[in-house]
Amino acid sequence: MKKGDKFQTDFIVDDEIYNGFIDLFKDKNPLHTDAAFAEAKGFKGPVMHGNILNGFLSFFIGECLPEKNVLIHSQEIKYLHPVYKNEKLRLVAEVENVSESVKVAELKFFFENHTNLKIAKGKINIGIDL
Amino acid sequence: MTAAEILKEVNRIFIDQLENENIVLNRASIADDIEEWDSLTHIQLIVAIEKHFKTRFTSAEIQNFKNVGEMCDALEKKILLK
Repeated sequence: MKKGDKFQTDFIVDDEIYNGFIDLFKDKNPLHTDAAFAEAKGFKGPVMHGNILNGFLSFFIGECLPEKNVLIHSQEIKYLHPVYKNEKLRLVAEVENVSESVKVAELKFFFENHTNLKIAKGKINIGIDL
Repeated sequence: MTAAEILKEVNRIFIDQLENENIVLNRASIADDIEEWDSLTHIQLIVAIEKHFKTRFTSAEIQNFKNVGEMCDALEKKILLK
């Protein structure tokens, strides 16, 4: 992995992920589960939990990078727009810095939807086996 | 850049990375002296120092530093070589 390397992976927040997240973490806030409530707040429907994207990030780091010996040291994410159920998302990540001395790669990333609207962005630092 | 100036900038990086305004480094400072300086924050510190000074350490250099002073000496040499 070297500076400038780019990776991308596609996701869909489908019923299995949405229901699985609620089953596991019990966040049934009406913004996420009650269409009328969400619409009254100005959204098109129930807003998917932002931390579902962190699950996608976990999959991406653990399963989609060329290195399998990886460990997330830190990550930050900013949510820019809501995500709705069955929305197609693309995660695009670029290696911004690699420190060989301490075996760390810094990646910046963003999620975009099918209209290329950036719905979240952030940075993630991972330990890698260089 | 003098050794004292490098130490001052390294001190600022420690304060920022470890979120502790009370950190005061000297050349003899080691990880045991600073509560927040553990194996994980050590990595964050090295990455931040490399980026700040626009230089790179080798893993051998990192392992051989006995204290902050030795790291600052290495930084001073790298800056002089630029």
